[in-house]
Amino acid sequence: MKVETTQIPKKYEDAIAHWVKHNFQDLPLLGKYWDKYFPQDDAFCLCAKLDLSTSHVQEVGEHKGQPKVEDPSALTEDAARHLLTIIRAQASTEFGSIQQHQVTIERSPSDQDKFWVLRVMAEELRHGYQMFHMLTSRNWEKHSGGVKTEDMVEDVLTMETGTHVLEAFNLPYDSFVDNVVFSGVIDRVGKYQLTMQKVCAYRPFAQSMPPMLREEAFHLATGVVPMRRWLEAAAQGDAFITPEQIQQSLNKWIPRGLEMFGDERGGDTNLKLGFKDMKNREAQSKYWDEVAKLLHDLNLRFLRARYPSKSPETIERMLAALLRDRSSADGTSYDEILKMPHREFFRRRGEPAFRMVSVEGDPIADVEEYIRHLARVLPQAYLASRDMAQYRDLIRKVAAREVTPEQAAMKSPMMKRKAESVCPCSKGVRWVDVDGGAEKLPQVATNEGTPGAPTFHAP
Amino acid sequence: MPVEAPEITVRPLSDVDIDAITRIDEKLTGRYRPDFWEERVAYYIRRDPESSRVAELGGEVVGFMLGDMRGGEFGLEETSGWIERFGVDPAARGKGIGRKLFDALSEYFKASGAHTLRTFVDTGQTETATFLKAVGFGPSALTALEQKLG
Repeated sequence: MKVETTQIPKKYEDAIAHWVKHNFQDLPLLGKYWDKYFPQDDAFCLCAKLDLSTSHVQEVGEHKGQPKVEDPSALTEDAARHLLTIIRAQASTEFGSIQQHQVTIERSPSDQDKFWVLRVMAEELRHGYQMFHMLTSRNWEKHSGGVKTEDMVEDVLTMETGTHVLEAFNLPYDSFVDNVVFSGVIDRVGKYQLTMQKVCAYRPFAQSMPPMLREEAFHLATGVVPMRRWLEAAAQGDAFITPEQIQQSLNKWIPRGLEMFGDERGGDTNLKLGFKDMKNREAQSKYWDEVAKLLHDLNLRFLRARYPSKSPETIERMLAALLRDRSSADGTSYDEILKMPHREFFRRRGEPAFRMVSVEGDPIADVEEYIRHLARVLPQAYLASRDMAQYRDLIRKVAAREVTPEQAAMKSPMMKRKAESVCPCSKGVRWVDVDGGAEKLPQVATNEGTPGAPTFHAP
Repeated sequence: MPVEAPEITVRPLSDVDIDAITRIDEKLTGRYRPDFWEERVAYYIRRDPESSRVAELGGEVVGFMLGDMRGGEFGLEETSGWIERFGVDPAARGKGIGRKLFDALSEYFKASGAHTLRTFVDTGQTETATFLKAVGFGPSALTALEQKLG
């Protein structure tokens, strides 16, 4: 991969710096301890990165074989609008995940866990910066319904948990378990989306994907490695982070992850326009298999830590028996084994939206019984949330046939974007004082290889 | 009717490979070291997931080769491709898996601008040394030295 780095105009950088001040207060801490936790790694660079080796030829879609597009003006009106929606949604996820992580990062049980998540947050910030480069390096105003570039940027920066585009980014974290499970489960959807978008017919967007994917791979490890360690500790008797807690967090996030692929019946437009190389159902299915494999490996880690003298083959057979018989074996209960929630469980969008199905896939006829089931299998702290209250009200209306599942899906989330800026001391891009009092990105220095690019480390 | 052999595919390292690599290492060394491999896989992924590869046979990971692009060590200013750890499941040997992993990695390092591949080998590990020689490694002017302390 040959990568070129570039920057967005100063007023947008200043707006990001201001956003960081209010939403990512721990960013300077990462710079301070970078060398301790990530020795040998290149300094973090808050810049846009473009892979120069990206193909110039469209790889999929109805224009397959034709040159990739370098400017939105060369796209059809529909295609440009569609791609703009993707870019804005992608930007929302990047900034949204930082807001989620920031709330509970202080509760991390170890410094390593904390600094790994901090690095993830910094790289999500870079990915948001990358999407702003997409928005600001070309003129999209013809395709935005009259919204100016700076308003598009500001719209993203004023979103907060509860007002983002995708629901997975509207759920507050309940504990550091969520920081970790989110990284392992929701960032994995990000990996699939970025991989699919590597073929994008709009070349600058395709060029953005490989550098983002390289960073995303570590985000997944930031989820998986702590989960493995926690399960090892739980197997040996630690009672603080249990498999049951991890399972409840998985039950919270996996349904949202499945919905991030879009409706199972959709994806034709992306394929036709050459923006992605898989339809929604196919991508979702591959994701499902990968998460299932992850849980299988986590269960093996747990059982091998609990029974260190048993052979790997014996542990495999034991795991298979526990899952098959749904019973206890040798002092390990079925509840201690992680399971994929059923594909239809707790869904609000897509084919199975608002079906009442248990976490194990059994239909539940009575809505109150279904709500009690949710209360048993979701994290306790999550139950007392606005999100769950709204879901409960909607599922009751669906059960009473007051609204259809499709109408309920349209109403979720019901939290509305605030009309004014979320930041009381700033009104975003247009109000940041570019000449005088603008906040600067912390510990900004010039990267040797990237003139003018902000980094954490002094050259 | 002839049975088609499953295809060997080589892909970049991923977080879901930790268990498979731990299992291969356990088969090769007799030691179960999940903590060690969790740390190492996270490290290589962080550096660059494409600088490390795994080989799959019939959908199962049967081999791995972990490496890195770096320079500035041991007085070597140029950035080199380093091959640091590799292993092939004993049950899958003889299928050219090590060679495929090596080819994928060396191609990637070359495309990324490296002119030299480097590694260290324990002369006691004759099998490893034989493999490295077979894929083209030769003696280096750089010699590994050590001194026992205490």
